[in-house]
Amino acid sequence: MLINANSNTNRTEILQKKYLELLNSGVEAEKILVIVQNSKKKKEFVDKIKKESKNGFIGSLKIYSFWGFIREYIFENWVIVENSLKDKNTKIIPNLSGLEVSQYIFKKSIEEVDFTGYNSRISLLHQLFRRNSLINLNNLSREEVEKRDKILKQTYSNEANQVINKYKAKTIDLRAFDYIRQINIFEFLYKKIENKFEYVFVDDADEITPCVLAYFEYIKKNVKEFFIGYDEFGSSRLGYLGAINVNFEKFLNVKALKIFNDDIKSMNSLKIFNLIKEDKKIDIENIKSKSFLKRNEMLDCVIKDIKILLNSGVKFSDIAIITPLTDEFLKMELEKTQYKFNFISKSEKLNQNRLIGYLLELLKIIIDTNNRFISPYVLKGILIDILNIEKKEALCFIQEYKTGYELQGLNLFDLMKNNNSEKLRKFVEIYEKVRFEKLSIILFEIVSCFIPFKKELSKDIIKINQLLKQIVDFEDVFKDEFNRLDLIIQLENTIISENPLSDDEIDEDSIIVSSAQKIIDYSYKTKYQFWLDVSSENWLRQDIGPLYNSWVMQKKWNKEIFELEDNIELTKDRTARMLYKLYLLGDNITLYSSAYDYIGAENFSGIDRYFECKNEFEKDENIKIEPIVPRDDQKEVLKYNGGLMSVSATAGSGKTTIMLLLVDKILSGEILKDIEPKNIFVLTFMESAARNFKERIKNKYPNLKELPNISTIHGLALRILKENNNFSKVGLDYDFEILDEIKRANILNEVVYKFLGSTEKVDLYDGAISAYKNELALYGNFDCKNKLFLSIYEAYDVRLKSENLIDYDDLLLLSLKLLKENKDILDYYNDLAKIIIEDEAQDSSNIQQNLILLLGKKYKNIIRCGDINQAITSTFSNSDVEGFKEFIKKSKNVVMDRCQRCATGVLDCANSTVNYAKKEKIEAFGDLIMKPVEGKNIVDFKAVKSLIFEKEKEENDFILREIQSILKNAKKPVSIAILTRSNFAINKWAKIFDENNIKIYKNSESLINNLCYKVILLIMEYIANPYDLKVLREIAKELYDAGFYEFDTLKYVNSLNEPIFLKKDFDEQFWWDINYFLFKNHYSIYDLACEIGEFYFSKTSEKDNIHMVATIAQKIKNSQKTFEDAVIKLREIQFKNNFSNIKFFKNEKKDFKKNTVCVMTLHKSKGDEFDYVFIPELTKDNLCLSIDDCKLKEKSIFIQKVKKNSKNDYELKKEIVEENFRLIYVGITRAIKKLYLSVSNNYKYFSKDKKFENSEIFEGVLCKK
Amino acid sequence: MQKIDTFSANSLKILDKSFEEFENKYIYNLSVYKKDERTVLGQKFHTLICFYIRGFDVKRLVMDLSPDEHIFWQKLEKKLKIIKSNFIKTEYSFLIKDELNNFSYYLTGRFDGIYKDEKGYIIYDWKTLNLPKNPYDDIQSIVYLYSLSKIYKTNRIKMRYLSIEKLDTLDVDFVSSEKYKKKIDKILLKLPWFNISSSNDLEFQELNF
Repeated sequence: MLINANSNTNRTEILQKKYLELLNSGVEAEKILVIVQNSKKKKEFVDKIKKESKNGFIGSLKIYSFWGFIREYIFENWVIVENSLKDKNTKIIPNLSGLEVSQYIFKKSIEEVDFTGYNSRISLLHQLFRRNSLINLNNLSREEVEKRDKILKQTYSNEANQVINKYKAKTIDLRAFDYIRQINIFEFLYKKIENKFEYVFVDDADEITPCVLAYFEYIKKNVKEFFIGYDEFGSSRLGYLGAINVNFEKFLNVKALKIFNDDIKSMNSLKIFNLIKEDKKIDIENIKSKSFLKRNEMLDCVIKDIKILLNSGVKFSDIAIITPLTDEFLKMELEKTQYKFNFISKSEKLNQNRLIGYLLELLKIIIDTNNRFISPYVLKGILIDILNIEKKEALCFIQEYKTGYELQGLNLFDLMKNNNSEKLRKFVEIYEKVRFEKLSIILFEIVSCFIPFKKELSKDIIKINQLLKQIVDFEDVFKDEFNRLDLIIQLENTIISENPLSDDEIDEDSIIVSSAQKIIDYSYKTKYQFWLDVSSENWLRQDIGPLYNSWVMQKKWNKEIFELEDNIELTKDRTARMLYKLYLLGDNITLYSSAYDYIGAENFSGIDRYFECKNEFEKDENIKIEPIVPRDDQKEVLKYNGGLMSVSATAGSGKTTIMLLLVDKILSGEILKDIEPKNIFVLTFMESAARNFKERIKNKYPNLKELPNISTIHGLALRILKENNNFSKVGLDYDFEILDEIKRANILNEVVYKFLGSTEKVDLYDGAISAYKNELALYGNFDCKNKLFLSIYEAYDVRLKSENLIDYDDLLLLSLKLLKENKDILDYYNDLAKIIIEDEAQDSSNIQQNLILLLGKKYKNIIRCGDINQAITSTFSNSDVEGFKEFIKKSKNVVMDRCQRCATGVLDCANSTVNYAKKEKIEAFGDLIMKPVEGKNIVDFKAVKSLIFEKEKEENDFILREIQSILKNAKKPVSIAILTRSNFAINKWAKIFDENNIKIYKNSESLINNLCYKVILLIMEYIANPYDLKVLREIAKELYDAGFYEFDTLKYVNSLNEPIFLKKDFDEQFWWDINYFLFKNHYSIYDLACEIGEFYFSKTSEKDNIHMVATIAQKIKNSQKTFEDAVIKLREIQFKNNFSNIKFFKNEKKDFKKNTVCVMTLHKSKGDEFDYVFIPELTKDNLCLSIDDCKLKEKSIFIQKVKKNSKNDYELKKEIVEENFRLIYVGITRAIKKLYLSVSNNYKYFSKDKKFENSEIFEGVLCKK
Repeated sequence: MQKIDTFSANSLKILDKSFEEFENKYIYNLSVYKKDERTVLGQKFHTLICFYIRGFDVKRLVMDLSPDEHIFWQKLEKKLKIIKSNFIKTEYSFLIKDELNNFSYYLTGRFDGIYKDEKGYIIYDWKTLNLPKNPYDDIQSIVYLYSLSKIYKTNRIKMRYLSIEKLDTLDVDFVSSEKYKKKIDKILLKLPWFNISSSNDLEFQELNF
């Protein structure tokens, strides 16, 4: 019997009825095999049979999930396997163990195979696991695997197969088989045993894998009747989960009974299926959509919507939150609501449970024989949470331990033994009794003695038992032949759900939070489905890696090549099936998307593209959009009607505004027909500019569900690498990472030290490596004369590859390579990129320009905006202004030379600088001369002040007094900036203003400049040092400065003469707050960071950054031994701009600059404007405008030595002087009202006064003023 | 609270002893996983006996036994050799439906072996632990005898406990289905959802809070 029907029909009921009929007709239950999809469905099936059966003997039921069935089958028939083996390792009962055992065996097998030169070693274990799974699930023969290896051109397939073979042999030796390996044993057995099942029932048969089908094929001849329920549009598990779309009519040679309810839901589900397949948009009544910029905005709305539903009487169990990203961020945000959530997470690790975390730490302490120092933070958690010691007592004991260990090397257990606490002594007794026992016995004793068996801990105890079971499994297999510490470390990282036999606990009375696949697998029906993160690529699972490809490894694959189009079509097919099934399970669906993910990276390639439904956006009343009226010179830009266009726009000409209008016009379809937001690519130079642009578009079009692609060019390159798993074509694995500043410095230090014995010259190599990579890309391999450099470069490159890392240069080079070498990928982006707009085009490198031109090759609608007069990055980056100049020549060039920003005097000063350069024959500028906008600029021909002082202090004092006077006399708030030549000078000026109580804003990207980072770090420092009053006072001062406490708090803390936690100052809010964090145990540093962040920032705009800081803290912790080390590291990296490419949101208020002095470098100031601008310290060293006087830095010379066409010293000097001209030009053009250019004849140099020459600008430009 | 309706002999035994213990173990899962040596020994022998009775050559499997265990096995094998052809089932799981106060409940378990001869059926139970002291009142005897009587619809049944190590046996004759049911029902009445006076949902919910 075949039933083709969806989950909304009575398909399962029919099967159950047929089963009962067979039982009632006298067929023994033993003769009927029922295979359902999972244990939940098994339970439902069994419950139904139980309910509908008559009293008496029901039978010996053979109702299983497939994995349960093969497990039982192997146990039942194991003797056959054993008798076929010839070795001596006999086992009466095989170890049908979990993945942690097979992981260990795989690791050992990998060690025996040489993978030299393989790029993605870091996740090799995962890749081999996936390869092995796909081979087995798809029931592939050796020939079939070989054929696929050829299609995929996998150069390391031989090595991969060797590992798998070794792994298989070892599993036999150990008689240890995980669920995937059990498939092989099962296949061996069923071919040897006569089938005893007369009837076979299969429900959800559209989700079965080829290995299951192979079994049915094999027993088919002996089965009286099959009863199969399937959905022809189902098979949501195609690809990475190995499902196969079977023609069951052919398989059974019968016609299927087709049940189709013509209700709206079933009709709509089919509509969804078909529209996705046809690349058309879905617009269905009960699907709404809400889109946001940031993920936390999205989550706020989700929570708000849940509240509304619950307040209207909807039950928890009526709501399902469906997302591929059940991360800590989501969990914490949801749990804050205090509602009941049931997280069905696919990636939960055992030690994410606090209790388990501490138990594992405790095990480490007990088995340690080297008296290693124990992290006080961990010890505190163990003492308070496991041993139940009073909090203050615990801290005092820890302090005793800390001093005892540091001074005398005292052992923890000796100290405990001598302590008065009964609990500590009891613990020592247990320790002495079990310390040399098996881990499972140690854990059992601790849990039995110290964990209270209370109902509230029910979920924890389930997890403790999972842990115990895993340890026992491990001990059963490996006996004593493993390192206990290695096992604990492996267990910490065990992902619970990776063993299909570990059931998900579905709590009937809570809001389920799950992946779409789990909802489908469990057929979990709810009234309301909230689909979260629909803009995230994670919705579309494409499982492709360097050693496997879940599409090509499908049993049915019959093509000779695998192309991008295959990936796209197959992904679309699977998505259609998945969303079709998912839709059937919900009554009302809301889609939530955000442009950025939780670490500020752009989302792309989500399922939102398939939906056209109305965007339900609640308009923010605070956002008022002023209509923009373009000026005449700006109107030219808006006349664009396709093709190549360059926009030469001077500073302050309103370039961003007009680009916004242009995008507006494009979106309206006035310029190009059939254009969608996804066809527009806006590329900016800085991340902040992209975010700003995106925000403005979003504010202008709140209902726009899909935004144009607005990113930096590096963001675009990353998308090209990631989208459709393109990375696998350049030898990367899915979890490749981009090297951040900190890691790059570490790697370079190590590599350079290895070759030079010191790290003094790291900076030279840093720049040279980048330059060399670009040269390679432009000219191919060439004979680089500097052989030492080449050795260092190669060592650096090997290191990156071995860790699956790429640097920023690779990001561009690899994406360019992908486009150049894969026509299908190029076609994909060419079809997509109907129009490209590039901002700050003067700063693009040659590679970036190639990428843009290649991307726009098909439609050739490319608009590049920039100002060659503002090209200020060529001396320290690979930017190449010549490319933009060339583009201007061959495109329609629109000039926007009107500047309405600067006072007339400032404009004159800027133009004089241009003229001076011309006079000196320095080719720094183009022909663009800035012109005022009639009636707009402040008319003040004395707006520029040129000041030369004798001493540094005089210059400092003048600027300070002038600023104090400006602030005092200003009738309305004003903005002021100090623009410096170096980062170093920022701190000097910040200190001066700080000491004089002038509010400053440091436009620095450094981590510590983010208030959220700073506060979280401070509190963590206190937790790590609760006895240190100096630390506490610093914290109080910083928190006071940040406005969290009153001055009285500062006085209170300064008056303390003993640790604050020993006091009982109940009247002090600070006392409560600080002690709360000290005693609230969080095993995970992530949770601690979030709790601190939530406490101080939940009602501020900094809230966006809490989870980013928490993620940084967690990543740091992962690479450090202890919490305390992690805190030290967080302090160490405070001045770095970035960690792990996490991008904080800048949450400046609109008027943040008002009455504040912004201190920043000249480079950073580009794009900004201020009422008053001070550019101090304009010495010749800082701003040399003469080629003869220009001094070359060692780095500049060194970089030339690794280039194919290196520049000589004169050319280099010329380049530097040209850029200096442009740099001061940028600085000058920031000023709206007044500009102060100053210098002193003497500056402190290593504490002594040193004479410095003034920059030529004073004589060449300013003396004429 | 989850309304459990399916019971093994073990869970009934615990419920008989204490409702709280039953609640902790079967409803809240508040017990620690432990695989002790006796359990492992029991599993090994159960498996071995099962294969042996089914007619498989177990010479290789026996190599997995320790020298002491090997001695047990040799003696046991001798005993089993004589009776093995009379076993009609080994490791046979069952599911029996019954009711109490209009609520259905289910008994489940697994017979180690079912022996049949002209006198009737014998439920064999291999024991690695001590044999029950009061076998006639032992819940396992009650549940197993009651269940087998439902399966084969006969009273010609007995339960035989066989000690793997000592090879001594203990037989329990079938008494009466009514008596068994009464005993089982009496235990089940400790559960609020079988107890009419406290079984309506409202009262039950109150009990939880």
